[in-house]
Amino acid sequence: MGTASLFRMLPSGRPDPPPDPVAEVLHVLPPHLRSLVATLPPAVLGQLEEIRLRQDRPLALGLVQGDAFLSPAGCLVGDPEQAYRVTAPDMERTIQLVTGSSLYALEEELRNGFITLPGGHRVGLTGKAVVEGGRVRTLKHIGSINIRVSREVPGLATPLLPHLIDRRHRTVYHTLIFSPPRCGKTTLLRDLIRQVSNGVPELELPGQRVGVVDERSELAGCYRGIPQRDVGARTDVLDGCPKAEGMTMLLRSMAPQVIATDEIGRAEDVAALEEVFHAGVRVLVTVHGSSLRELASRPALQHLFSLKVIQRFVLLGRSRGVGTVEEIWDGQTLSPLGVRAC
Amino acid sequence: MLKVLGCAAILFAGSGLGAVVAGLYARRPADLRALQVALKMLETEITYTATPLAEALLRVAERLPHQVALFFARAGAGLGAGCTLQEAWEGALRECYAQSALAARDLAILRRLGYVLGISSTGDQSKHLRLAMEQLDLEVKRAEEEAARYVKLWRSLGFLGSLALIFTLW
Repeated sequence: MGTASLFRMLPSGRPDPPPDPVAEVLHVLPPHLRSLVATLPPAVLGQLEEIRLRQDRPLALGLVQGDAFLSPAGCLVGDPEQAYRVTAPDMERTIQLVTGSSLYALEEELRNGFITLPGGHRVGLTGKAVVEGGRVRTLKHIGSINIRVSREVPGLATPLLPHLIDRRHRTVYHTLIFSPPRCGKTTLLRDLIRQVSNGVPELELPGQRVGVVDERSELAGCYRGIPQRDVGARTDVLDGCPKAEGMTMLLRSMAPQVIATDEIGRAEDVAALEEVFHAGVRVLVTVHGSSLRELASRPALQHLFSLKVIQRFVLLGRSRGVGTVEEIWDGQTLSPLGVRAC
Repeated sequence: MLKVLGCAAILFAGSGLGAVVAGLYARRPADLRALQVALKMLETEITYTATPLAEALLRVAERLPHQVALFFARAGAGLGAGCTLQEAWEGALRECYAQSALAARDLAILRRLGYVLGISSTGDQSKHLRLAMEQLDLEVKRAEEEAARYVKLWRSLGFLGSLALIFTLW
């Protein structure tokens, strides 16, 4: 979709102040870029998903309806030639603000290629990898920065929830949510955790003790161990902990009824999940992928499929906005439940 | 009578001026040593606990004597308020050390450290901090020699200079 049509779709001149998540991420931009983005109409800011800085290239914004560039005058433009070009000092300053001038304290994060800001916003980085003994030690000469705005959408999981409830055991099914990037997996999982933790009386679901392994601090957005996002009254969060180790720790320490974690994908994650299944604890997990066939062909997930424990597979997409439930499958029969209307 | 009062004023001002300059020479080694201790503490915070710089600067400030504490507290507060380290460091330097016993050479060492602090790996940070501490060490030695040489000199010069002026004017 072109930028012009994007403009037509947006209501103009709404008086509401910029939403808080955007204000949170704007702090990490140099002042002149901060004011460029902040002068956009509130309706555009409300749809902002990403801010992409690439050195010596146009400043790009990811919006719900598509990508656009930002001009030096602070207007959305479709032509990259008219866009503001990101300079080396812009990049340096952004890195310093993202890291709080403490790059040394974020070596592990750099190795993984992203840093999580207070509030659970993720900043992805690429540059020159420094390899030591065959493994990435850190990144240097950062060339691209992608700042992703994380939003809470209370009620996003409400249409999906009836299909995930095991009424016989008054709990939730083992559920795996998958989608390509930027389809709202984390946002949906966060709302799912909140609702399962608080309980849903209409669906006769009592509140469950939920343990969350939040390896990248995106789900709960913890600051010094305290969740900054609403993840429910009965939720315990293990922040910044590797998923596999964290799930085992939660099992031992917090007696959870449900364990939730984001973006599994390594063999050790699946091994830890197996332990969780055997302990009689339900799981809510997400994974990157665009079809069941694709998931089943991934080596680490093949074992998970062979266990036949997952009871619900949920595919998300953007066909009717971020977080659209495209399809739900029964995990045992792998037949679609035909609930596209969620 | 007026002449005597004038002479006393000249004597008082001259000796005072001498004492002030001598005081700067006497204070510089102590100030430099305090800075060295502070940098050592900062190195520990960075290398052993990887404490983020804003917090590390404030922690160092809590455990130090007045002027160094003020410098680190200002830099830490500036960093916490959304400045980059270089801006916060430079602002704190101007505010706390512009009118101090430190020489331009000492401030240059601190300023150079501000350019590199926080923007590289733990190992690198340690090297930069150690280099700054070594440079400060040289300055401490130089400052001690200068103190031994000039403290007495300036005190006497202030007193004797004002006496000379009095005799000339009498």
